[in-house]
Amino acid sequence: MKLVTRYNRVNLVTTIIVMLITGVVYYQAISWILTYQKDKDLKDEEQEIFEYADLNHHLPQTFVTRDESITFSEAPPGSVERRFIDTTYLKKWDKDDTKKRRHHKGPGRYEPGRGLMSSITVGDKYYRIYIVESRVETEDLIQLIFMITVGVVLLLLLVLFAANRFILGRLWLPFHNIMKELRLFSIADNKEIPKVETNIDEFKELNNVVVDMASKAKHDYKDLKTFTENASHELLTPIAVINSKLDTLIQTENFSERQSKLLNDLYGAVSRLNRLNQSLLLLVKIENHLLHEQRQINLRQMIEEMIVQFDEIFQDKKLSVKSFLKDKEIYASPYLAEILLSNLVSNAIRHNYNGGEIVIALSGRELVIENTGEDEALNNEKIFTRFHKASGSEGSGLGLTISKEICASFGFSLDYDFRNGLHTFVVGFGKP
Amino acid sequence: MFVHLSKKIELKILIIEDEEGLRESIEEYFTEAGNVCETVSTYQDALSKINLYRYDCILLDITLPGGNGMDILKTLKKNNHPDGVLIISAKNSLDDRLDGLNLGADDYLVKPFHLSELKARVSAIIRRKTFNGSNLLIFNEITIDLLAKEVKVGQSPVKLTRKEYALLLYFIANKGKVVSKNAIAEHLWGDGIDMANNFDFIYSHIKNIRKKLIEAGCGDYIQAAYGMGYKFTEQ
Repeated sequence: MKLVTRYNRVNLVTTIIVMLITGVVYYQAISWILTYQKDKDLKDEEQEIFEYADLNHHLPQTFVTRDESITFSEAPPGSVERRFIDTTYLKKWDKDDTKKRRHHKGPGRYEPGRGLMSSITVGDKYYRIYIVESRVETEDLIQLIFMITVGVVLLLLLVLFAANRFILGRLWLPFHNIMKELRLFSIADNKEIPKVETNIDEFKELNNVVVDMASKAKHDYKDLKTFTENASHELLTPIAVINSKLDTLIQTENFSERQSKLLNDLYGAVSRLNRLNQSLLLLVKIENHLLHEQRQINLRQMIEEMIVQFDEIFQDKKLSVKSFLKDKEIYASPYLAEILLSNLVSNAIRHNYNGGEIVIALSGRELVIENTGEDEALNNEKIFTRFHKASGSEGSGLGLTISKEICASFGFSLDYDFRNGLHTFVVGFGKP
Repeated sequence: MFVHLSKKIELKILIIEDEEGLRESIEEYFTEAGNVCETVSTYQDALSKINLYRYDCILLDITLPGGNGMDILKTLKKNNHPDGVLIISAKNSLDDRLDGLNLGADDYLVKPFHLSELKARVSAIIRRKTFNGSNLLIFNEITIDLLAKEVKVGQSPVKLTRKEYALLLYFIANKGKVVSKNAIAEHLWGDGIDMANNFDFIYSHIKNIRKKLIEAGCGDYIQAAYGMGYKFTEQ
C-alpha cells in the first residue's frame, strides 16, 4: 500500500468520524438553544396572560395566530402540573390559499410544535392554560444549518482528497527522485548520486544519508578491488616461485620412481592451488562486474571450437559426443562465455565413466549439456554452492558456482536435472 | 636466411623481476642454453641497464620496487629501442594485458607460469624480432615452415595435427629440458582445462608425434623423463 493511499484512508476516516461527531454535537446544541428560545417565548406569553388576568380579573380572549394557539379549559383545582411538552401544532390553511384547501383534506397541516401546560386561577375558577407554538421555523433553521454543515464537510473532504492527491504527490517528488537515483546507482561506475533540490528537512536528510552511504560503499568497493588485486599478486607470486622451482628441480637428473611420484603430486597440488586462486579471483570479478568488455558471440561456433579442443580428452575417456547445434548469437563477454562452456563440458567429462556419452544441444532458447555418469541425481540446491564437491572429485568445487554466476551476469538461467539416467545442465537464454 | 638452432646462438636476455626465487629460477633456466642473462630487481637498476645495453629480449615484471614496469616499457619505446619485451605479471586483467600490448610489449604472460612456457614465448619473440622475413626453423633434419605451419624431415613432409605441431615447436624451444606434463597440458589446452592430474591423453599425443617423425626418417628426440614429463634432446 502506498503511503499516500494509507494516509488518505486514515485521513478520510478520521475526518468523517470527527465531522459526524461535530454534526451531532452541533445539532444538539442548536436544537437546545432554539428550544430554550421557544420556551422563553412561551413563558413570556404565559406571563402576559397572568398579567392580563391580574389586571382585568378575567381570562383574555383566546385567539389563534399563524404560529401560536392558546386555549383555556376548566380543570379541577391543582390537577395541572406546569410543564413544557413537545407536541404537534395544527397549522390552518390561510383563507386565501384556496389551492391548498382544495388539495388537502382537513383544516390544515400538523407541524412540530412546542407547548407549555400551565394553570391559572381567575376568581374562584381553576383553568388549564395550553400554549402551543409552531416549531416549523426552528426546524427549518436547524435543517438549514445541518445542510450547510454537511455541505462544508463534503467540500472539506473533496479538498482534502485533492490536496492529498496533487499536493502530496508534488511533496513526495524529491523522495521519488532520490529513489530513481538509487535505482540507477551502480557501485562500479564513477557516477555520484546528485544532490536533490528540496526545502523539506526530512528529504534533505535522506538525500544526505544516501549520498554519504553511496560514497562510503564506493570507497569500500574500491578498497575491496585493491585488496583483490593485492591478494592476487601476493598469492600468485609464491605460487609462481614454487612452480618455477619445481620446473628447475626436474632438470636435475636421476630421480627414483618414488621421487618422481612425489614431484608429480607436488605439481598437481600447485596446479590445483593455482586454479583455485584463479577461480576465486574470477568469482570476485564476476560478482563485482569487473569484466565489462562485451561483443557479439556466435555460440555455435564457440561450442564447435571447444569440441575440437577437447577432442583428445573425449577420445582418452572413449566418450561419444553428439552435438545438435543451431545458430545462436549472444552479446556477452567472450572470456566469460568460454569459461562457462569449458566448465560445463569439463564437468560432463569429469563426472562421466569410460565409454560414456555426452550430448550437447543448442537451440535459440537454451543450451543443454547431458552426460552419463553416476546413476543418482545430484542435490539440486547444493551443487551450485561454493566448494561443494562430489566425492572423489578433483575439481576446485567452484566450477558450477562460477558457471551460475556467469549465467546470472548474462541474465541467463542455469538449472540441473536428472532425466533418463542423464545428468542434464540447461542454460536458458531467457527472452529472445 | 636459415635458423640453425643446432648451432649455439647466444642470446642476451635481461630479467627484471623483484622476486628473488623467481628471478633465480628464470636465470638458471635460460643461462643453461648458453645464453647471457642479466638480472635486476629494482626500477632504477632496470632503467640504467636499458639505457646502456641492448637485449634480444627483456622479461619485465610490472610491480617493481621504486616504480612501474610499464614506465620502463614506455622509456624503451620512446627511445626506439628494438628490444623484445615480454611482460610477466601477476595481474590477469584484460585491461592490463591490453595496456601492455598497446604500449608495444611483444607478449604478456601471467604468473604463475611454467619456465618452459616462458622459454617458448621468448623463443617466439626472438624468432619474430631477429629473423625478419624468414619463416624457416631448422633443427637437424627437421625443417619447420613457420608461416605455412608445415614440417619436413629431410625432404619428406610430415603431416601433424595442430596440437602436434604446437607441441613440436614447444619441445624445440625447450630442447635439452625436461618439460612437465602439467606444462604441456596448459600449453596445449590452456588454463581452462581442469583435468587435474589426468594427463594420459598427453601420452597418446607424444606417441603419435614420435611415430610420425620416426616414420619420416627422423631421429628419436623425445624421451620420457621419469614419468614426470618429456625431454627433447639431440642425444
